[in-house]
Amino acid sequence: MNILLLLIPLSLAFLAGAVWVFFWAVNHGQFDDLDTPGLLPLDDISRPEEPP
Amino acid sequence: MCCQGCRAAAEWIEQLGLGDYYELRTAPAPKPDAADAAHEAWQDTDSARHVIRELSADLRETLLLVEGVRCTACVWLIERSLGAMPGVMSVQVNAVARRARVIWQASRITLPQLLHALSRTGYRALPLDASGLDDLRRRESRDALKRLVVAGFGAMQAMMYATAIYLGAAESLDASTRDLLRWLGLLVATPVVLYSARPFFTGALRSLKARRVGMDVPVALAIAAVYAASLLEAVRGTGEVYFDSVSMFVFFLLTGRYLEMRARHHARDLTDALARLTPAFAERETPDGIFKRVGIHELRVGDRVRVPEGGIIPADGVLLTERCRVDEALLSGESAPVTKRRDDPVIAGSVLADGPVVLRVERVGADTALAGITALVGRAHAERPRLQVAGEHAAGRFVARVLTVTAVTAAVWAVFDPSRAFTAAVAVLVISCPCAFALAVPAALTRALGAMARRGVLVVKPDAIQALAECTHALFDKTGTLTEATLSLADVRTFDGVSHDGALRLAATLARQSRHPAARAIAAAHPAIDTADIREVMTHAGAGVSATIDGRVLRLGRSDFALAGKPLAREFEDAVLLADDRGPIAAFRMGERLRPETCAAIEALQAQGLTVLIASGDAPVKVAAIAARLSVGIWRGRMLPAEKLAWLTDLRAAGARVLAVGDGVNDAPVLAGADVAIALADGAELTQACSDIVLKGGRLDAIAAAREIAQRTLAIVRQNQRWALYYNFSAVPLAALGFVPPWLAALGMSLSSLAVILNALRIGRGDARPGRASRSPHPAAEPLAGPAT
Repeated sequence: MNILLLLIPLSLAFLAGAVWVFFWAVNHGQFDDLDTPGLLPLDDISRPEEPP
Repeated sequence: MCCQGCRAAAEWIEQLGLGDYYELRTAPAPKPDAADAAHEAWQDTDSARHVIRELSADLRETLLLVEGVRCTACVWLIERSLGAMPGVMSVQVNAVARRARVIWQASRITLPQLLHALSRTGYRALPLDASGLDDLRRRESRDALKRLVVAGFGAMQAMMYATAIYLGAAESLDASTRDLLRWLGLLVATPVVLYSARPFFTGALRSLKARRVGMDVPVALAIAAVYAASLLEAVRGTGEVYFDSVSMFVFFLLTGRYLEMRARHHARDLTDALARLTPAFAERETPDGIFKRVGIHELRVGDRVRVPEGGIIPADGVLLTERCRVDEALLSGESAPVTKRRDDPVIAGSVLADGPVVLRVERVGADTALAGITALVGRAHAERPRLQVAGEHAAGRFVARVLTVTAVTAAVWAVFDPSRAFTAAVAVLVISCPCAFALAVPAALTRALGAMARRGVLVVKPDAIQALAECTHALFDKTGTLTEATLSLADVRTFDGVSHDGALRLAATLARQSRHPAARAIAAAHPAIDTADIREVMTHAGAGVSATIDGRVLRLGRSDFALAGKPLAREFEDAVLLADDRGPIAAFRMGERLRPETCAAIEALQAQGLTVLIASGDAPVKVAAIAARLSVGIWRGRMLPAEKLAWLTDLRAAGARVLAVGDGVNDAPVLAGADVAIALADGAELTQACSDIVLKGGRLDAIAAAREIAQRTLAIVRQNQRWALYYNFSAVPLAALGFVPPWLAALGMSLSSLAVILNALRIGRGDARPGRASRSPHPAAEPLAGPAT
């Protein structure tokens, strides 16, 4: 059972990391608009590298 | 091309050399747009202060409401065209909310330049108040998401540790490991209770301060009680801990709230039309008598402002000019302009039909009638659906009862076996959690809104789902709703040797004064730019338009109106007539076609047992032709908006629940009086803002499908609530008697919530893509032989 002493802190660290990453994403607007990005790949207009 | 964006995008591709397939065409010259002048005014720092937020010394942020965004090509085009400008740091476009958030450097670009760039690509943009609602809403949704995810992660972890304890109990888990796992449970459940569940606590405090007991009070009490009890047991090292249950409890409740919040925000996006009704600028008279353009927020009571013809009145005021006509559709729903005389009040947001006029400002900003309406609409949208509120009340009552049962359990056990009193009481509290109750309505509603949106039915007010399911009659407008919005001129007959072209020119001049589909068809038939002297234009709702042209009084419209009672051959009774005081000049007949979906849509509604009715302002002959074609038995023609409303009121008084479908501003009164109002997305913006449901692309056939979904939703909500009740009825006595170990309580709680969600997922499944197929050519797509007004 001693392995628990390593695995549990490890899982908690992962958890804290995941929450931190998620908070960062939310605060940077990644979840503000869940509709538009989902539509973008559907349009089959070829995208020029640089618009004229 | 579906919109400006697609066209411009296609042209861009063409310019890039990929356009060899297309016919050679010249790019449209930038529109000489009157709006361009308006853009310059944003240069003025005082106006701009309200719409620009300073992020740093140089960075500025602006939120634009962009008109005409319809699809992803628009998003791409806007992002590209703005993003390519020097000084623009970032552009985010939300296609659904029609908003663009632009961050730019003040040293390299100005707001007018941004607006210019957008208008060159064909979009009109309106800067929104920077300190507006949007920020509040963004914070609300971000907060909710964070709390939800913390609760989700916490619940998962707590569940893992709890599972270890539960399984360990069966084998031999040594006491120290068990204690470690319990403390870990406490560690992960604490942020869930203290951070994620905070809205429940603050909500409970707020309602206690207001001396009310809402849903939040019992929920907060239950969370606090279970957490405190588990904390106590963890410290004492005896009894059972429920950290997993309390985290899951919070997670499920937050899920319900999050779904409900998203539906509410989405509804608000659809009704931003009202924000556009007031202009951003007004022409104010300076002390030396010249009119200068100022931002609307600079207007003060007592200012004199000038409004150009066709302009929007910027503030509530009193007319200083002798006479004018304004379109007050906003307040009255009546599209016919109203004549105002000197000293009459005019309201902000109404459109000046002839001008220019000067008025004295009486009320500005938030005091205007328009602001009142906007606030009302906003409040209506901020309100939660009735179904939801009823569900929450049921859950609130339920939790209050559970707390009573818990107290009784504790008291009874305290008499017989005090050592088990605490455990049994907490078990009752946990197993009877109202999660399933709290999820029942939002899960079903969210699923239903999504399923309907996929079919092109945008539900603005979620209450409409209930009303839609229960309605018994469907009242359709004809012109523009059952038939396509545009008419075409089919035939012109002149009287007394008047030249064909001359009659058409006069009629077109008159017709330009009206926005009725028939008038538009006549106006479109004669392209001439007329220089005629036209005065005293009056639009008569449901009848026609009259004016004095070159000294001659002319009337265009329904035959009885145009001829002012003079007799005429029956064959012209249903035509649009142009007449002067001496008699008829010309008769116009319009060709009109049914929308391709109409037949199938009406059939489907009738198959569902609805009584379909047609109310039209059109001549009875034509309404009869359409009604016969659609096998609609009950119809009325020649109805004024007020008569339509009276008919609707009669129907409702007789016990019918009426669904009204319309497109124009003249349908607004009928829509407002109906149980469910459905507006077509290509109709008037105001009509949409006042309706419960907006149909994209005139897809009438989606109504029947939407009604099926609505009925299923109601059925599923009832099933869910019943199921939650049965589950609790059977589980609580067992828990009270002390037969339920913590693991079983946690399992029961999750399974009951899961059952509710899975049940809700059944809504709108299976028949995911109707519509498309029924878009195939239908016999009804042939043009109707019958003429129309």
